Amino acid sequence: MARDPKYDVLFEPIQLGPKTMKNRFYQIPHCNGFGSEKPLNQAYFRAMKAEGGYGACCTEYCSISPESDDTHRVSARIWDEDDVKNLSVMCDMLHEHGALAACELWYGGPHAPCMETRCVPRAPSQFPSDFEHLTYPIEMDKDDIRYVQQLYVDAAKRARDAGFDIVYVYGSHSYLPQQFLTPYYNKRTDEYGGSVENRARFWVETIEQVKDAVGDDCAICVRMSTDMFMGEAGTQLERDCLPFVEMADDMVDVWDINVSGISEWGEDATPSRFYESGRLLPWQKAVKQVSKKPVLGVGRFTSPDLMVEAINSGALDIIATCRPSISDPFLPKKIEEGRLDDIRECIGCNVCISRWEIGGPPVICTQNATAGEEYRRGWHPEKFDRAENADNDVLVVGAGPAGMECAMILGKRQMRRVHLVEAQDDMGGIMRWVPQLPGLGEWGRVVNYRRIQIDKLKNVEFIPNTELDARGVAEYGAEIVVIATGGYWATDGRNGATHDTIPGADASLPHCLTPEQIMRDGKEVPGDRVLIVDNDGYYVGVSLAEKLADELGKQVTIMTHLGHIAPYMHFTLEAPNMHRKLHKLGVEIVPYQIPTQIEPGKVTSAHVFDEEHLTEWDVDAVVLVTQRRSNEALYRELKDSIGLDDLRSQGVTGLYRIGDCEAPRLTADCIFSGHRLAREIDSDDPSIPKPFIRERRVIEREQPSTLAGAAI
Amino acid sequence: MAKIVVCAKQVAQLGDEVEFTDDERDVDPDYLDFALNEWDSYATEEALQIRDRLGDGEVVVVTVGDEDSEDAIRRCLAMGADRAIRIDGEGVSHDPVSLARVLAPVVQGESPDLVFCGVQSSDAVQAATGTALAELLGLPRVAVVTKIDWSGSGPATVNRELEGGLVDVVEVDTPAVLTIQTGINEPRYATLRAIKQAEQKEIAVVEPDGGGEPAYRVRRMFVPPKGEGAEMLNGSPEAVAQRIREIVQERLS
Repeated sequence: MARDPKYDVLFEPIQLGPKTMKNRFYQIPHCNGFGSEKPLNQAYFRAMKAEGGYGACCTEYCSISPESDDTHRVSARIWDEDDVKNLSVMCDMLHEHGALAACELWYGGPHAPCMETRCVPRAPSQFPSDFEHLTYPIEMDKDDIRYVQQLYVDAAKRARDAGFDIVYVYGSHSYLPQQFLTPYYNKRTDEYGGSVENRARFWVETIEQVKDAVGDDCAICVRMSTDMFMGEAGTQLERDCLPFVEMADDMVDVWDINVSGISEWGEDATPSRFYESGRLLPWQKAVKQVSKKPVLGVGRFTSPDLMVEAINSGALDIIATCRPSISDPFLPKKIEEGRLDDIRECIGCNVCISRWEIGGPPVICTQNATAGEEYRRGWHPEKFDRAENADNDVLVVGAGPAGMECAMILGKRQMRRVHLVEAQDDMGGIMRWVPQLPGLGEWGRVVNYRRIQIDKLKNVEFIPNTELDARGVAEYGAEIVVIATGGYWATDGRNGATHDTIPGADASLPHCLTPEQIMRDGKEVPGDRVLIVDNDGYYVGVSLAEKLADELGKQVTIMTHLGHIAPYMHFTLEAPNMHRKLHKLGVEIVPYQIPTQIEPGKVTSAHVFDEEHLTEWDVDAVVLVTQRRSNEALYRELKDSIGLDDLRSQGVTGLYRIGDCEAPRLTADCIFSGHRLAREIDSDDPSIPKPFIRERRVIEREQPSTLAGAAI
Repeated sequence: MAKIVVCAKQVAQLGDEVEFTDDERDVDPDYLDFALNEWDSYATEEALQIRDRLGDGEVVVVTVGDEDSEDAIRRCLAMGADRAIRIDGEGVSHDPVSLARVLAPVVQGESPDLVFCGVQSSDAVQAATGTALAELLGLPRVAVVTKIDWSGSGPATVNRELEGGLVDVVEVDTPAVLTIQTGINEPRYATLRAIKQAEQKEIAVVEPDGGGEPAYRVRRMFVPPKGEGAEMLNGSPEAVAQRIREIVQERLS
């Protein structure tokens, strides 16, 4: 199908200084865990988006000097000629697809802890980082300023030499140029502090020097946060940013506009729980009204209609996407080909970001199991080989995220027939009730995307309302059986803290409830006072707290053995606003406590670090968010009671399990599990993941001797 | 031993895009997917449930079509039908009367106690084949049946659906032709084993007899021209809502 003419504007070329971008789809700088030291992973990851139609793709933040070293997190680095070589692979691959390559030159100041280089960063004023623990910068004198500006110039030349078309002077997220612009970071009394002209001086000068150095060859992009939501102390749009735009506009070829500082950058990389797509448009529009240059910006855009609206309403010239480009690198191509229902829409869960926050494991995506696997596993999000054993029929039992993904990919790999059999009346599994939690509606896209794809696959049949027992599975007639029966929340308080149950915890009683009983089964939560026992640490406990307090008017207490609730939500950037919500709702948060006894009307708990110190809580209901368990009864019966020999006599040559049924985990990992099995269904042993390419330095030793003077 | 004949049809399903054949008299089959007509899966299920309830009997599925259309009746076999007959559809017009003419002698040859058709097919949506077949066979017929109570011989008591949620309970002598409505039961799914076994079953193929002149001819298929004067409302939900408000206010004033 051809694209709808109403989307034509998205495919118009645009001039950025000396470079022409072929369309309006731009992959904003974002991390992936590869940096410049896993250059092939990096290059293949970005190139997939260029293949998918993006007109330009950027590196993640790219350090200009060892004194901007973000270890433990992974950035790209362009410190020397070897980095140039490594990053040039990405540039070349992007150019092969007709896309521009962009490099986000970055100097972190105090936020870069320099744990690898052991350098000391520099900053406008000496404050320890508000983002990173115990990192103090040098307060810059004039020589420091000249020195750092020269670092930018040298790095820009290296970026040009690597083949980059667009070079950033990156300020957003509270990095050095923005620190100078912002009173919160800049307390100087010299010509680099005080008035907005003075606070803008460092950034303006740096842009000027970079422009002089590479401006004939590269477009100069400036990424600026236009509101830190910190009142007078933070960057402000009208006081700081619009005057700055007027000062720098002549030198800048394209503006990249967002909001937030670093310590609450979830205001920029907005979780769907709190913000809809396009939430930054008012700030972007404000800059566009002042600037004569193109403006690009993010907004978790997945809808082409909203993209067109963003352009036609005068807010943006270029649609930048980060998370939607991870979720679907082929977003532009699918719009161009009129295949809107094939778009794998970002759900805004931010598990991609969580990996950077954790410290740099490869990026993952709930929706796109192939994200980060382009090079190391050779996975393409849109291309699937016919399986070598495609003449087999497959039975997938359980249509939760893992089962849906597995059935879909097996279908795309042209297995003869795939039956996806589900006990409930519809597909979705856990994702039928999770999106009913407050704010998580968009998570339902996990089900919608797969439902549409499965419906299109003629070799995949979805069979609802059918609960198979082990004999039924054995005699079903499939050569390959995949068990994806999911997991469940422990009903007895079993938990990862004590590795035991909680005395008195029993969800068959009216006053003890599990998340599924509340969300899926409609079990009534008795009384007014509810205690949520959260040993899980992610979204379920706090989401239930919000729901029970807000929708049912309960008086809610969350108790956790951890130091604070839902620590994983710090990684997904959901924590600050979640805390605000719970605080407003009057939810009491009790850290470092473990229940020792649950009785009707009363819970007794002990302090984690003082077990003798017991506290009693008068509560009417206890919600057990203690741990999950695999729903593995069917798998065990097939393997242990019927046995693989008996199964083979029924024609079953392969029995596998995936997702929570194997071990409970993130939905992203459940979907990966189902995808991985389907990708490798024709390997020698599909139950064991095939090795992937580990991009690492390997020492080739010509003779087996030790180095002189060194013990190896 | 009770015998039920189910007349089943492989229907065409439209994809996202449609093109017509060069003579503009049909949809280009490249743009079509094929499946067992939904109503016929309910008819098959009903026949199977009656057979299974009686503990004895035979369910025979009959279709009209080419070899590819056997996929539909193989699905009925996989569900549990005992036998299948395909009347070779070459040269047979697709209108309900022509289909009923070629079905009639084959159904008559089976001497069934009951004949089930789906109320309609999802592609042609004429809802006439069953009734035409009853007329040709000289059998009583009840259309849009939602419940069947039958002991295996003698008259059957059936519910037929009327407009407005009304139900008419009628007694009908057998043999009879009943057209079966969706929702009368929950059609079973065929296991992979049953599908494989159905693949191995022999399907009797018979030549059509009695097609005659088609009851109608397709002269031309085309996409209806777009109406003039419609104002397309594009933009954000807010912008669209605003425009709708303006239009309503204009018309009211």
